[in-house]
Amino acid sequence: MPPRPALAPTLPALLASLALAACATPVYRPPGGSAGTPVPAPEGSGVPTPVPSTPLPEPAPVPAPVPAPKSYRLGAATSALVSQAQGASARGDYETAAATLERALRIEPDNPLVWIEMGRARLAGGDPVQAENMGRRALALAAGAPREQASARQLIADAQSAR
Amino acid sequence: MKARTRKWLRGLAVGVGALAALAALAFAIAFFYYDREVAQQFEGRRWTVPAKVYAAPIELYVGLPFTIDDFLAELERLKYRAATELDRPGSYRRRRGRFEIAVRAARFADELRPAQIIAVTIEGNAISGLRAADGADIPVFRLDPLLIGSIFPIHGEDRIVLTPDDVPPLLPAAIKAVEDRKFDTHHGIDLEAIARALWVNLRAGKVEQGGSTLTQQLVKSYFLDGRRTLGRKLEEAMMALALEARYDKRDLMTAYINEIYLGQQGDRAIHGFGLASRFWFAKPLDELDLAETALLVAIVRGPPYYDPRRHPQRAQQRRDLVLRILARQGIVPAAQAEAAAARPLGIATRPSGGYYPAYLDFVRRTLRRDYKEEDLTEAGLSIFTSFDPRAQLAAEQALEGELTRLDRTRKPPGGQAGLEGAVVVTLPQSGEVIAMVGGRNVSFDGLNRALASPRAIGSLVKPFVYLAAVESGRWNATSVLDDTPIEVPLSRNNVWRPQNFSRDAHGPVSMVRALSESLNLATVHLGLDVGVPQVAQLLARFGLGKAPPPLPSLLLGALDLPPIDVAQLYNGLANGGFQVPLRAVRAVVNEHGERIGAYPVRIEPVAPPDAVYEVDRMMTYVIERGTGRAAAARLPRGLVVAGKTGSSSDLRDGWFAGFSGSHLAVVWIGYDDNRPTGVTGSSGSLIVWQKVMSALGTSSWQPPMPETLEDLAIDYSSGLRVTTGCSQDEVIVAVPRGTAPPFLAGCAPPSGIADWLRGIIR
Repeated sequence: MPPRPALAPTLPALLASLALAACATPVYRPPGGSAGTPVPAPEGSGVPTPVPSTPLPEPAPVPAPVPAPKSYRLGAATSALVSQAQGASARGDYETAAATLERALRIEPDNPLVWIEMGRARLAGGDPVQAENMGRRALALAAGAPREQASARQLIADAQSAR
Repeated sequence: MKARTRKWLRGLAVGVGALAALAALAFAIAFFYYDREVAQQFEGRRWTVPAKVYAAPIELYVGLPFTIDDFLAELERLKYRAATELDRPGSYRRRRGRFEIAVRAARFADELRPAQIIAVTIEGNAISGLRAADGADIPVFRLDPLLIGSIFPIHGEDRIVLTPDDVPPLLPAAIKAVEDRKFDTHHGIDLEAIARALWVNLRAGKVEQGGSTLTQQLVKSYFLDGRRTLGRKLEEAMMALALEARYDKRDLMTAYINEIYLGQQGDRAIHGFGLASRFWFAKPLDELDLAETALLVAIVRGPPYYDPRRHPQRAQQRRDLVLRILARQGIVPAAQAEAAAARPLGIATRPSGGYYPAYLDFVRRTLRRDYKEEDLTEAGLSIFTSFDPRAQLAAEQALEGELTRLDRTRKPPGGQAGLEGAVVVTLPQSGEVIAMVGGRNVSFDGLNRALASPRAIGSLVKPFVYLAAVESGRWNATSVLDDTPIEVPLSRNNVWRPQNFSRDAHGPVSMVRALSESLNLATVHLGLDVGVPQVAQLLARFGLGKAPPPLPSLLLGALDLPPIDVAQLYNGLANGGFQVPLRAVRAVVNEHGERIGAYPVRIEPVAPPDAVYEVDRMMTYVIERGTGRAAAARLPRGLVVAGKTGSSSDLRDGWFAGFSGSHLAVVWIGYDDNRPTGVTGSSGSLIVWQKVMSALGTSSWQPPMPETLEDLAIDYSSGLRVTTGCSQDEVIVAVPRGTAPPFLAGCAPPSGIADWLRGIIR
């Protein structure tokens, strides 16, 4: 039910990527579909990824596609809730911060940025164990998104040093 | 003579006076004693306002899918009324897809939201605008939380407590007419009524009539046990007098309406007219007609004796008597009473919704687990839950519809109870339970099968066997398993010979096929190779708490769990290998608006995310082409879901557990007495599951693939690698990078850049 405002790869996009090897978000495709896994390109470049011009020796295993650098942002609703939570956190009201972030989580449960915010609020509230676990959850959700992975790793490191 | 008489009379007067004074003194002392007693207890009871339990509020924001009809239904549910002028909170007006709503003030766990006017625009089945009265955009806005029940968290009683304004005037009038005609004028006891009752009872030679006032009945229900001795009667009378002296009639009538015993459901007593109305008629008190109100008043005299479900004739006779009394006393016109007497009892065979005992049961359980008892004794608590009335309705209807259909096709032999079932629905990422059905007659029999009926989980255990294998690094979806007969020595004279459901053995099969088609032999071979203790440990990590005994039969699900525990296990699969304790309570707030004992979401990694992803991907093929394929065609087009069927031996239990990107649902169907059902997990439970999922408006399972994995096209049966279009039987699995198996004969790519490219793209 909650839409994913940040990342919504469409079939045309996937098809376009087939043809152009242009930028798209790699996602798991429903089994039995006809579109291929897109070949990723740097986010926002809009420039087709250069295709290697020399064939690899056969029958070498097909090289794995380069992970697509994708990135996440928060939807308007989630973003408002996150700032509200940050305000509560700044006042030292970590309970309210956590409750408000859970509202954001229900709207965008798969967005690693929400999990990173939740982890940050937990860390500020003195719960480094949960902060680290939430960092790990964010890291898993951020597969293919280097910027978010870096933030998740930073959260994990901060949480570990706070223990 | 005259003087002696006068003297004697004077003596008598003095004596009587002294006696009277003594009696008055005794009475005063007794009265004083009972007054204190009554005041303490009555205040305690009267002010024990139960905690109010709220459903999850709907969060509105631009982009949220919502049709105009659904939005109207939501406003209706929250009792907003259409109006031309937004005169007071609780009203709205609409022009096509644009709603202006005078929202009521509402208390949430994290804020007190004042009443205000908002404008909501719906276009193309989604919210396209959300604005304040001054035209400013509102990023996110919560509708009022729906009240779903009242509970006393500690003693577990639920009650719908009414204020005098909630009570339709007919009810107190009818109670007085039937139970205590002089209620408005007496002082707690009605001597005339007692004398009349005594006379009637003496003549009949048994107790036919009680002379108790409403006040005495209230005292009896509040303070006294059921013994009928003279001492008790005197005590009761004193307390009644004391109550009357202290409280006005209105307070006492309200207390009576909220307190009196009106029915029994298992070990749960139904107290108060508010709850009784739900219990007997499945609707709120203010919607009852004359005949229904009369029946409730009739039941007061003896709920077990006049139980309208068990003894409909008795109940009807007494209801009609009540109607005649009402007519005779001029409370209702005789014609109306006659018309009402011609009506059937109108007892609900099925609740119409609005009452959710299974979920409230789970709320109490989570409260006991997560909160301190002393925090919950406070009066006036508000409990905010994750309950979703729409999901609940979908689950109730799906289960009831399918069970009715199955009962028709396999009529249980004479007199035996029909099939039963249970459903649990969660939001996997937060572990919130949003719906729970504990049986088909949602309100009536008191057994919450979702929590309290452990049943054999059968093949539901298999994803954990496969996960243990994948986690070990020695297996992946392309691995070839051995689906051949096996003998497992259990003890010296005892050999276990498991069989496939079809009784066939398939020889070498790919792991993805073995899981999709739920092959027992392949699973036992695999599980013994991986190690039963490893599987048991994995189950413990995913939420069982304690590892089940590592017996080989565990590999085929010889493990009894209630649906809620299955939901806990599968929630970890749906949540990428992170365990979240399932819960119902988001927050508890006291009457000053302060949160007590906050328990925010807690997560714990319990398995490597990539191993879980690999198994989840295999589980999508259960639906796509395995034992769950009956559901594939009926699910919304393009929706990707993963799940697993489960059937215990002799088909005593039929399970389906599965998830999408945003919901997890577990369905169990079976008989309460554990006799075989003839229904597999892939018929009954799967159909219920598919209907629930379809009604939820859920999103596809499509988490980002871990970077350590790659997509691989393989031949479904052999697990060998293929190029596109080469095998009729191609599936795409996720495997660790660099572990691709060899190509299927004739399916290797020819050399050349075009094919190399295609290889990449596949």
